[in-house]
This record gives sequence, C-alpha cells and structure tokens, in this order.
Amino acid sequence: MANTWGYGAMTNHLGDMQNSKAIIIFGANPASNHPIAMQHILKAKEQNGAKIIVIDPRYTKTAAKSDIYCRIRTGTDIAFLYGMIRLIRDNNWYDKSFINDRVYGMEEIFKECEEYTPEHVEDITGCPKELLIQAATAFATAEPGCLIWNQGWTQHTVGSSNTRLGSILQLVLGNMGKPGGGTNILRGHDNVQGSTDMGCLSDTLPGYYGLAEGSWKYFASQWKVDYEWLKGRFKSKEMMEAKGFSLSLWMNGVLDEANAKNNAGTPLKALVCIGNGISTITQTHKVKEALDKLDLVVFIDPYVNDAAVITTRDNNLYLLPAASQVECSGTVVNTGRSAQWRSKVIEPLYEARPDEEILFDFAKRMGFYDEFTAGMGKGKDFTWPEDATDEIARSLKTVGFQGRTAARVKKHTENWHLFDTTSLKGRGPVSKEYYGLPWPCWTQEHPGSPVLYNINLPVSQGGMGFRTRFGTERNGVSLLAADGAAPVGSRIKGGYDEITSQNIENLSGIKLTDEEKKLVEGKNWKTDDSGILVRNALKAGLAPYGNARARTIVWGFRDEIPKHREPLHSFRQDLVKRYPAVADIENHYRTTVRYASEQNAQNWVADYPINIVSGRVVEHMGTGTETRASKYLAELSGEMYGELHPELAAKLGIRDGEMMWVYGTGEGKIKIKCKYSYRVDENSVFLPQNFSGVWSGESLESRYPAGTAPHSFGENSNQVTSYGYDQQTSCPETKCSLVRIERA
Amino acid sequence: MKMLKSFGRRSFLKMASLATATTATSAFASNSVLRGATKDEIRNPYPGSKLIKTICTHCSVGCGVIAEVQNNVWVRQEVAHDHPISHGGHCCKGADMIDKVRGTNRLKYPTAKVNGKWARLDWDKAMSQISDQLIGIREKYGADAVQFLGSAKCSNEQAYYIRKFAAMFGTNNIDHQARI
Repeated sequence: MANTWGYGAMTNHLGDMQNSKAIIIFGANPASNHPIAMQHILKAKEQNGAKIIVIDPRYTKTAAKSDIYCRIRTGTDIAFLYGMIRLIRDNNWYDKSFINDRVYGMEEIFKECEEYTPEHVEDITGCPKELLIQAATAFATAEPGCLIWNQGWTQHTVGSSNTRLGSILQLVLGNMGKPGGGTNILRGHDNVQGSTDMGCLSDTLPGYYGLAEGSWKYFASQWKVDYEWLKGRFKSKEMMEAKGFSLSLWMNGVLDEANAKNNAGTPLKALVCIGNGISTITQTHKVKEALDKLDLVVFIDPYVNDAAVITTRDNNLYLLPAASQVECSGTVVNTGRSAQWRSKVIEPLYEARPDEEILFDFAKRMGFYDEFTAGMGKGKDFTWPEDATDEIARSLKTVGFQGRTAARVKKHTENWHLFDTTSLKGRGPVSKEYYGLPWPCWTQEHPGSPVLYNINLPVSQGGMGFRTRFGTERNGVSLLAADGAAPVGSRIKGGYDEITSQNIENLSGIKLTDEEKKLVEGKNWKTDDSGILVRNALKAGLAPYGNARARTIVWGFRDEIPKHREPLHSFRQDLVKRYPAVADIENHYRTTVRYASEQNAQNWVADYPINIVSGRVVEHMGTGTETRASKYLAELSGEMYGELHPELAAKLGIRDGEMMWVYGTGEGKIKIKCKYSYRVDENSVFLPQNFSGVWSGESLESRYPAGTAPHSFGENSNQVTSYGYDQQTSCPETKCSLVRIERA
Repeated sequence: MKMLKSFGRRSFLKMASLATATTATSAFASNSVLRGATKDEIRNPYPGSKLIKTICTHCSVGCGVIAEVQNNVWVRQEVAHDHPISHGGHCCKGADMIDKVRGTNRLKYPTAKVNGKWARLDWDKAMSQISDQLIGIREKYGADAVQFLGSAKCSNEQAYYIRKFAAMFGTNNIDHQARI
C-alpha cells in the first residue's frame, strides 16, 4: 500500500465505516477477530442499507451477516479482483476524473484485467460468475464503498500483490480520500500499527526511514549519539544498511549455514524474543529445530512462551517475567491510526519487570546505557514513558508524529467521552481535534488526519493528497497530481514535490529569514528539526510530503503490476503452468527462499489432496499463550479441532468427533478432532491457529515450569502449514497449504 | 441453564438443603461475628478504590476498559460506555482483561533450564548470565549472530526502544508480527 500511495496503513477508521454505502470484506473475519469493529459494519448495513459483500474461502460468522457471499478457492483473490475491475471497466463504472487527476498507470491494469472474464474467474476461483457480477455491481454502483481486508490477504506468497490490487480497485472507483470509502485493513494485535511505525522491523529504522546512510545519520542525531560510534557497533557499513532476518525466516539463519554469507559470515547463535508467539509462523517444526540448535535462547513474556516448551534443549534457555501491558503505561495505536494512552492499572505482580527496565539493565551491562537513553534528552533524570513518547514525536517526521506528544495523547484518552464515533471529532476542550490524533499529525496544533488522502479538507485540518514518494516524473509522464486536484486552501492548485529547503519559498510563497535559512539548510520535511519547513507548508495549505498521483505500477517489484500466481502448493496443478510462481529468490531477508523450485518439486496435490483454510477463534489471540492461560477463555474454547465438510469426512471415513491425523507437505503432522461443518467446501479443512502445547499427538504440559501451564492445550496448526513466503515482504503463507488427512 | 456434568439433580438438592441450613444458622449467629452489609458498603464495596481508564490489550480495535483498583489490586472491571470506538462493547477476551493480569499461572520469577530441569534464578544472576553470553557471542561471531524479536503487544515507547537496542547492539536482525 505504501508503494501505491505513500503510507501503508488503514486509510479511514472504524467508526467511519458507518458512512459506507457498501462494504466488501475480503480475507477478513471481523465478527470473530474484531467483534467490536463489526458493530460499525452492521450499523452501516442498518442505517444506510449498505450491502455487505463477503469474499472468503470459508463461510465465516462475518459471511453469515452478508448480503452477498462469494466462496473462492484460497489464493485466487487477484483473479477475483481483476474480474471485478474488468466488469467495472466494461460497464463504465470507474471514476474517470479521479483516475485522470490522481492516478498513474491505470491503463496497465485495464489491460491486465482483459483475460479475467467472468467465466475465466469462475474457473480459477470456483465462485459462480453470477455472484462475481452481483458483487461487482453492488459495490461499484454504491458510493462511497469501503474495502476491508486482513491477514486473509497478506499471508500469501502474493500477499503484497493482493493488497496492492485491493488498493487499485478503490482507485478505480474513486473511493479513496472520502469518508465511508478507503482501504480499511484490520490489523491483528493491539499495537501492530504502533510497533510497525516504531520500525521494530528488519528492513527499516523507525518511521519507515529505511536503512540508507542518510537515515542512520538522521537517527544518530535523534538518538544523540555519534554516527561513527553507531556504525562501529555493526560488523560493517554494508551490514548496517542490509535488511536483517525477518520473523518468518530467521530460523533459516540458524539451520542453513549457506545463509551465513548474507549475515556477515555467521549463522545465528542466539535469540532474544520479547513478547512474540513465534509458533504462529509457518513451519513450526523448523522453529523447534532452530531453537534446539542455538547457543542461547531468551524469552521475555508475562506468561511462559509456548515455544519454550516446544524446544527440547536442556541448557541456556532463559525465561524472564515481563510485566503485562496493564502493568506498564504508554501509547498504543489502534488499527485506525489513533493513539491511546494505556494507563498503568497496577504495579507489576510477582517479580515481573516492564520491558524497558529489562532493556535498560541489558544496556548497562553491555556498556551502552548512556547512549541508549540519550535520545530522551534528559540525561539520567528522564521520566518513562513520557520522555520517550516525546522523543518519538520529535523523530518520526515522515509519519507526522510531531503533534503526538504524551500530554496530548493523554488528554484525548482521558476525554474519550468528548469524541464523535463516525467523524472522531472532539468537543469542548478537545474541539476541532480528532480522537487519538490519527497520523499524520503535523504539529502540536494539528488535529490529526482521520481519513488519509482527503483533498476536501485543508491540510491544517487533516486534508492531504497522495504522497510524492516515487519521483515527480517517469518516462516523460508527470507523477504529480493534476491541476485542480489539491487539498482545499492549497496555494498550489495542482501537484508538487515534497517540501525541501530549496523549494519551500517558491511553493509556499513565504520568504525565510537568514536565520531560518541557516536552520533548514540541506534539510527536507523529514529531517528538519526546526519545524520551519512543515509550519510554512501548512500555512500555505501544502502537505509537507507533496501532492502526487497514486501509482498502479511499482518499478523494482517482482511483479510491477499485481499478477495472479498459483500458490506454491496449488490445488489446481493444471493452472500452475499458466500462472507460475516467481523464480527462487536469493538473499530474501538474508535467506534463499524457494518459489518455482518448491512449486515444481512434485505434483503436490496428488499426495496432499486437501486445502487448508486457517484462522482465529474469537476466544483466543495469536498463539493463545495469554488467552489459553485464562480459565474462562479456556473453558469457552479449550480444544483444537479441524472443520471438515461431511462429504469429505465421509470419503475419508471419519465421523464427527473422531480423531484424525493431518499431514503437512513439510515434515509436520497433527492429531486433532474432526468437527463436521458446512462452513468449509468439500476440498478443505479449517484449522484454528490459536493452539499450542500438543506436539504431533504428544502433550507438552509436563514441560512447563511448575504452576505456569495454561488451562487449555492443542496441536499447533503451523506444524502442517506449507513452506512459502511473500515474494516482497516475506510474510509467511499460512493460507495456501495442502494436507493429507487420515482417521486416527 | 445448562447444568454441569458433575452437578446433577441429587447433588443440587443436597446443596440447596445445605444452603437453607446455613441461612438458618446465620440468622441465629451472634451479631459480633456476622452482620448485614451497610448501604454504604453495598454501594461502595471497595472504599478508597480508584477508576483507571485504560485500553484493551488484545486486538487492534482499541476498546476502552475501566479498571477499579484498590491497594494495587485490580478488583473490578467496568465497561466504558462512553468510549468513541467500543461504546461499552467487549468481546469475551476484553471482558476477561482483569484475569489476564491476575492469572496465577503467570511466569513469576526468572527461570532457566539447567541440564534439562527448570531452575529459579534471581534477576541479577539471570541478567548477568545472559549479558555475558551475548557479549561473548558478539565478540566471537559478530552482532549479526543474534536475532532479536520485538512485539506488536508492546507500547510504542517499548517498541521504539527495542529497535534502538538492536541498532546499538549492532544488527538489523530485529522484527515483529507486522509480517504475520
């Protein structure tokens, strides 16, 4: 998404969905996974008569509330989307002026969709063409319509193409930058958006600044350390600027020594894991092997990490008790980019310590505590977390964090009763501000931006065009927005470049004093600590990041426009030739990753004829480490199972409630209870992904330290999910896997 | 109402008669041992408690939670009717927030596996053993021999400092659930 229009985040917000006239939920199941978000969707249905269109391989609880339900085969989202776009094109339902003014490269998409006739889409997806036509008609003729997705789209080898094409669908219909429209990604955990903004990632520094030399120099200055010192901490400048291992691939850094060449010549020897349920990634048996092989493993969690009992290592495995989230305080960012202050409810129980204290202690023992805390600018007398919140606000200019100081975020959370649901607008002491100061929040006077890319508002009130992020011209064609397509009140009536010290006077029409010129010299809106560039831009009604076109083509990507590719373990072997996977990738997050060679290794479906559909249950979160530790939630959902269509079960000779063995294409197998269900089709099994503590039929309960075992256990579904990772982001493919099932 | 398996009709009757007996006994009990709650105590059973507004820790919706705390004990959980996103709504996980903290099966103290058995450690010992090993690995193999994993369950401030920690340790081998 960031590669389409500048930022990768939910563009609108949850309450805003009440403004929608039609809602597509594609690869998401909010009724189970975001139940409280679902109330806003249902209100759109009740109040606006919005049609709810659910496209999903499984008839979920969300699908049960839909007007139109399209069951598709897993991994065929792109074919379905192109089918929709083709119908929109042929019926002239697309928004010509929006595309003309604000989009680059739509012709390519209109060309690519040509082969996706309703009949062809039916063949690929398995969804009757009548339903595709109904869904496209209902969505394209309602205005505005919003598109919701979730991990059903991202956890694929082509996940990044799914999300791009979804974004493109909304561009085709001109649904971007409008209340009730947008691409509303429902994030998983409570602070996925926040931790991602914070750059807790292997491919970027905080605020998506990347890893280039300029970015490191910028952060060295923000952290108030010497760049040369920081560089000296790394093996080399090259390693400092190279993407690290990702969460889904790190185990290959332990197990496959061939990857050492991408990792400064060394395999991984230690893992320090803070609050992360690593058994929710695919290939759990590989995770186990890696954990067994490392020299040192450290888990820092409020409850025992389930991976600590999956590994059978005997030494150098440490479990440090972390304070739970409500025993700490700080900022969390919800899926709609709103910041909320999570106040500390009680002091940490037992011997638990907050994460930051553990980090500070490590930094002291390793000799860089002073450097580590210098960024807060208070020496040894800082106040946690407020001084860190303000340090982040100062540093993260790319995402407009400047206005999100601790004092302002606290004021919003304390006054949450003063904010409106559908607009997020405040009253009284917080009037003219939006709840949680959704980013970008450019200055300490800025109200936040509840709907991204809305040009019907001035920038100072949350308006903006698309970001100038990919240059201003390509092959002689301007990438800037057309004349007339600028935020209300903009001094420049069309597109413009991102703001720098060179163009600020020209674009804003404001003369800088000599002193100001000195302060901003060589800086741009992302690096200017004085705030002069951003302030003057706002005065002239300009977005600091520019005003450009969204693009459908991403130069440098493996698929420059999104392309349907059959899953590596495809249920439709006959389509693999026409829609093959990309070639294998060397050094993908420091790992060699198999694509074509895995897809062609054997005729997978012959030996593994059943498709996996995976997902969550409402009672549990992630691996269930915390929720299965709760007596009540464990009582509500205490057992792992697989949903099987009765017809398929009959063929396999398995009765409802009997145990079955599920064998994955890797080496994993699980023994689970069969649950008859018509939610899945006759070729698939649904596996909830929230269980752990049973390993291929063997209970791991006795491996927990005394008194720390959760109240319910189950086989981990990722023991049988297939190999596969997103071709751009390396997100694990949990959705398209094949298995073989036998009666136990 | 569904009856629990171990709680059949016969045992229910037994319990009922026991309850009657207890009530009868209570009625004759000495006032110095038992007394009825006062109106004040019913209205405010946790004197001196305070209400703290906080945010649910499960999914990304960010529902409001109101915690009632007395002497560092989270005693009751109230719904936040006036929260602009959740309007007092909770799923079963959010409604159970209070038990997430109070669970007796939490990890209570630093623990390490020594020759296949779990052993309790004090913080100082655990931290120095881990630090010494990390320093040793860094010296022998380089900082890239260590993989850090952060979390989407941390606050912004913690996540930012985890990233900063990896950078100052000297590696980009740091990631979290954004990719999941």
